[in-house]
Amino acid sequence: MNRLRASVKKEFLLLIHDRVGLMFMFMMPLLLVFVITIVQDNAFRKINEGHISMFIVNHDTGSQSIKLIQLVEASGMFKIEIKNDLDQSEIKQYLLENRKQAAVYIPDDFSALLNEKSNYAAGLMLADFGLMEASGIVPEKEVSEILLFHDPVLQEAYCQNINNLLVTSVQILENTLMLDVIYSQFGIDNESGQLKEKLGSPCVSITQTPASKADIKPNTTQHNVPAWTIFAMFFIVVSLGNNIVKERLNGSFVRLKTMPVNFMLIWGSKTIVYVGVTILQVLVVFSMGIFVFPLIELPELILPNNLAVLIFVVLIIALSAVSYALMIGTLAETQEQANGIGAVSIIIFAVLGGIFVPVFAMPDFLKFISYFSPLYWCLEGFYFLFLKGGNLLDLLNVLWPLFVFIIVCQSITYVKLKIEKII
Amino acid sequence: MINSICIKTENLSKRYRNSEEESLSKISFTINKGDKFGILGPNGAGKTTLISILCGIIPTSSGKYSYYENDTVLSLVDIKKRLGFVPQDYAFYEELSPIQNMMYFGSFYKLSIKEITRRSEEIFNILGISNVAHKKIKTFSGGMKRRMNLAIGIIHKPAVLFLDEPTVGADVQSKHAMLTYINFLNSEGTTVVYTSHHMSEAQEFCNRIVLINKGELVVCDELKPLLQKYNTSSLKSLFIQLTGTQYFDHYE
Repeated sequence: MNRLRASVKKEFLLLIHDRVGLMFMFMMPLLLVFVITIVQDNAFRKINEGHISMFIVNHDTGSQSIKLIQLVEASGMFKIEIKNDLDQSEIKQYLLENRKQAAVYIPDDFSALLNEKSNYAAGLMLADFGLMEASGIVPEKEVSEILLFHDPVLQEAYCQNINNLLVTSVQILENTLMLDVIYSQFGIDNESGQLKEKLGSPCVSITQTPASKADIKPNTTQHNVPAWTIFAMFFIVVSLGNNIVKERLNGSFVRLKTMPVNFMLIWGSKTIVYVGVTILQVLVVFSMGIFVFPLIELPELILPNNLAVLIFVVLIIALSAVSYALMIGTLAETQEQANGIGAVSIIIFAVLGGIFVPVFAMPDFLKFISYFSPLYWCLEGFYFLFLKGGNLLDLLNVLWPLFVFIIVCQSITYVKLKIEKII
Repeated sequence: MINSICIKTENLSKRYRNSEEESLSKISFTINKGDKFGILGPNGAGKTTLISILCGIIPTSSGKYSYYENDTVLSLVDIKKRLGFVPQDYAFYEELSPIQNMMYFGSFYKLSIKEITRRSEEIFNILGISNVAHKKIKTFSGGMKRRMNLAIGIIHKPAVLFLDEPTVGADVQSKHAMLTYINFLNSEGTTVVYTSHHMSEAQEFCNRIVLINKGELVVCDELKPLLQKYNTSSLKSLFIQLTGTQYFDHYE
């Protein structure tokens, strides 16, 4: 019987008998990709489709606060409820008890102070033009204080968005009031409409264009499917690491040493089977992105045009994952060590590699450390294909650290097996 | 009939890394063709170290050993083709069935699927595993696992068979089946090298023994003349006479 075939068959049989390991290898990535994509897509839609629930407590009786509320509503970001009966001190409690994400408090002097400030600013402008004398009356308070409350769980970026929207809206109100003052000074109050309209709509439109060589639109699927697939591929460390420790401990390796077999054949068969497993993981998770996601209104995974390059990248990532698992299995003395070190190290690699949080958002020293995570380079490889539309040459610049990683892992494994006199 | 093999050791010594004492010290003896050769000694005497060296699992620190077949010295590759090893621990895959294990280990001797199947059926019948040949080994009793451990070691009809405490933990029936089959293999030409703590079993089984103590060779001879020389009828009392009643276990 062909020795390699027998060895591959044995590895395959051991693998399919390890049901918990299989669950980890296939169910975990499917669940992770599914849940995280849904959550992120939902968060994206919340912002863009008006799903952030907000209430406004308006204690101002002037017209400017009404206009401010209209501007906030017009942004389309919020589901707005008006709760003027609440006291400023009751806002926090109401927000938390009613599971609202944000609240805006408009003080009773908002319109008055805004009018006062706009009058003053318009007066200064007209004085500068020599059209009238400066009044010399400076408003008592520079800005009326609007309070923005938010759920502590709401991410900082969302809070900043709401804050920016409020600032912009107040600026629009202020500019409009200034125009009214200026036009009234010239006695042409009714002529300001056209200019107000012009100021209300931006003269320059901004078109967002991803810096991709291919026509690929970034979305939660294009980010998450490749990222969590890499995580799952590296998580085979638990199954393969265990498999190796078990064989070392149960005496199978010792028996093999007395047989006419090159140990590289044993190693080769493990590599073949587990590279096959990781490729199958890629197929399963990508299939979910392509076929299942559109059915549940998630963005469809768009594969890169160059499938040959995609296969090449998948193979390199698979070899990296298997080499790492072989190394951990060889270095670990017990199954517990293989499980613990394997799983924890992959989570740390994933965090540093930008699977959980983008690397650009990390502090500088962590950005530097992330270069030592193989998952960072794997992710870069996939992002070049799925988001940036890179070609093979671009990819080689990203993938060479993975070649080094594979050589280092295989060398450490070889040395350890040599020390243990297994080869 | 198998071409039987003899083994010669000359001043075999072994010192493990970080160990001050030698586990084996200048051991020289010969295992003749067709011997049922017992390597005996108290715990920590160096029996497993000696077997591990002779099976090529660990290297010697000094000295040498040679395998002869028809007066020709065999290379390590040729030795491995002719050698069968049954370790003290269960060395197989408990998640797999006996036949799956035989297919895997048998493939390394370049046996065909047909040959492995035929040999497996033969061995399983004799060792009483045939009715569970397709069940997972992890469900087996200790005795069945012992028999399975032996079955893998003899799949290729080895010319020399090393057995490191092959019957430890096995029930009477399992021991009987195993020793009967090993005797049969020996009658077919297989040289058998065997270690055990069961002195009565060793006395019944072996025709020649080497007794080692604290890594040194105490005596090596045919069993019957040896018992006569020391004026005793049992291997157990000879063992005590030559090695004393002190414990020699050590820890690492």
